[in-house]
Amino acid sequence: MRKSLSITRRLTVTVLALEFLSAMALIGAITIHEWHVQLKAFDSSLEASAESLMGAVQDAEDEGDNVMLDMRGVHLGKNAIFRVKDERGRVLGSAGEPPSLELPSSSEHVFHNMDISGRSYRFFVLHGLRIVDPGEPNGGTPHSITIIYGTPIGHVWHEVIESIRFFAIATAVLLGVTALIMAWSVRAVLSPVNELAREAERITARDWHFDAPRSAKETVELRPLAAALEAALARLQGSFDQQRRFTNDAAHELKTDVAIVKSSLQLLSMRKRTVEEYGQGLALSLDDFTRLEMTVQKMLTLARLEQQPIENSRSGTEFQYCSLRDVIEDAIHQSKPLAELKAISVVFECVADAKVPIDNRDALLLCSNILLNALQHSPNGTTVRIAMTVNEEAWLTVEDQGEGVSDEDRAHVFEPFYRGDPSRSRRSGGTGLGLSICKAICERAGGSIEIENRVVGGALVTVKLPVKPSVSIRSSSALLKAQ
Amino acid sequence: MRVLLIEDEQRLAENIVAALRETGLAVDYALDGEAGSHLAEQGVYDAIVLDLMLPGKSGQRVLRDLRREKIHTPVLILTAQEGKESIVSLLNAGADDYLSKPFDLGELLARIKALIRRAKGVSNPILMVSDVELNTVQQTVRRRGQLLDLSPTEYRILEYLIHRPRAIVSKQELLEHLYDFDWEHHSNVIEAHVSNLRRKLNIAGTEPLIETLRHRGYRLRDEIAVL
Repeated sequence: MRKSLSITRRLTVTVLALEFLSAMALIGAITIHEWHVQLKAFDSSLEASAESLMGAVQDAEDEGDNVMLDMRGVHLGKNAIFRVKDERGRVLGSAGEPPSLELPSSSEHVFHNMDISGRSYRFFVLHGLRIVDPGEPNGGTPHSITIIYGTPIGHVWHEVIESIRFFAIATAVLLGVTALIMAWSVRAVLSPVNELAREAERITARDWHFDAPRSAKETVELRPLAAALEAALARLQGSFDQQRRFTNDAAHELKTDVAIVKSSLQLLSMRKRTVEEYGQGLALSLDDFTRLEMTVQKMLTLARLEQQPIENSRSGTEFQYCSLRDVIEDAIHQSKPLAELKAISVVFECVADAKVPIDNRDALLLCSNILLNALQHSPNGTTVRIAMTVNEEAWLTVEDQGEGVSDEDRAHVFEPFYRGDPSRSRRSGGTGLGLSICKAICERAGGSIEIENRVVGGALVTVKLPVKPSVSIRSSSALLKAQ
Repeated sequence: MRVLLIEDEQRLAENIVAALRETGLAVDYALDGEAGSHLAEQGVYDAIVLDLMLPGKSGQRVLRDLRREKIHTPVLILTAQEGKESIVSLLNAGADDYLSKPFDLGELLARIKALIRRAKGVSNPILMVSDVELNTVQQTVRRRGQLLDLSPTEYRILEYLIHRPRAIVSKQELLEHLYDFDWEHHSNVIEAHVSNLRRKLNIAGTEPLIETLRHRGYRLRDEIAVL
């Protein structure tokens, strides 16, 4: 099952839930408060009614100085139950059947809740003193009157429930309005996300142009996403462009070489020729074909070098090591014919040997490519100086006395097929892949290659390669032994 | 006819030059854009074969400058680049034809010849002037159905003159269009060839087909006046 999350829904639900909870808490608080207020009002009205009953206790005007209840002008609540007694237990008046409550002797005001025939009542017990004939010399006859007065408490409940209902309806309306506003405002707030998505949707393999919309760039939360998208796409486009350029250049290179071979053979077959002419033509065609083969070979080498690191890291195979000094000597030996042809002396300075993590074939390719490059760019009769130093890394430097590299070229010399001339003239020799292959070899071994201009003129190529650790230890111990 | 080849790939240029010369065209070639542009602007060529990726000056610029100089020599572009857009823009910039590398040498030669022919206002490979028939494919000449045995140079002189009937063609013009820089040329050589050609073309009882105008040059009649 696919799980889908909606930020809009989550936000709305969260806000509504919070709002609902706070409304509930508010209603609870209001209920308690309302209950207290209503009960207090109810109690006061009970007290007032009881007091008015007390006021209705009158002198009976008989000889026993008794009292009586005169109900005229006394308004009692609906369904009120009461009983008025004097100190002798004589009931002066009653309505309904009030319970016989144990009456506290003191005159404090006491409230009682009780169910009478299925209804909740609240009773108030009032003790009072009525004095008959207070103007008499003996000070009159005091009567201690007890009044029990109660009315149904349902009214209080009714009031409280009314107010709860009011707040509940208000809350419901508020929730509804909030939900609508949230749905609208969240969509408005999230619109930069949609715009970003729409812009990103327009990216195709052909058109890499991506400009994060301004709304996304102005949104603090989206700014990192927009920037990351832009950066990632720029990087992808860069590598795509590089691949496309490589493919175009490779196609151009191969087509040119094929065109030469084809035209050589077609020229030969244009008409009947002598055996010598055929021999000459075939030799030339073979040369042309060799060049085509070389281009293909170098392209394959470059492809192999560029894909191998992945395989290596996957299979975890160890690097092969080779002696850098031996390889350089081999390279010098190989390039001797060209050096002699141009009367260039090659000087090799080497103090210590180093084992570098490159196999013999690639190491020779690396060294001879750099050396040939130096020889090709050296004027006749100059010197090419090769030096090797070993510390934590092996450093190989090759200096020539040629014209050096321009700043513009320096950035590109390691790119495939770059020849330092926009027209890609091939007369300077080489396929334009030599230095790219060098770079691929160095990088695969975890090293680096750089080219710069010497102050005195000419180019300086520096190769830095990691060294097999055990070798340096062994050589230092050998050094100790020698001491 | 004289063709200029501008191609930086030495071996390819050598092959094309050899093939063009074998078909009887005079060829000069330049290995970079600057030199090629300089040669092309002399206006002595009947066709130009132009590579696009050239050191010094790109093929596009060579073509543009050529057309700006009001030189209308037909130009055939050789290209190893992909993409139709560049071909469209090149044709729009004044190129007459194109071939993409790797090309067929025979096709290149045929296209160059067709370009030269069309530039001279002829679309048929068999040229006719009065009773002379010149087949540019087989490089044969007949007069009144009779096959004539001409040397390559005589053939080329006749071909050039047939392209310009009734016009006076100077010796200088013949030299410019029939020989490339690799030839040692003297105007006497032309005179000897023309006189040989005239002799071979001659039929008793008619006026010579090629008139010699003293100090001015030669003219090919297109009507034979019967004496």
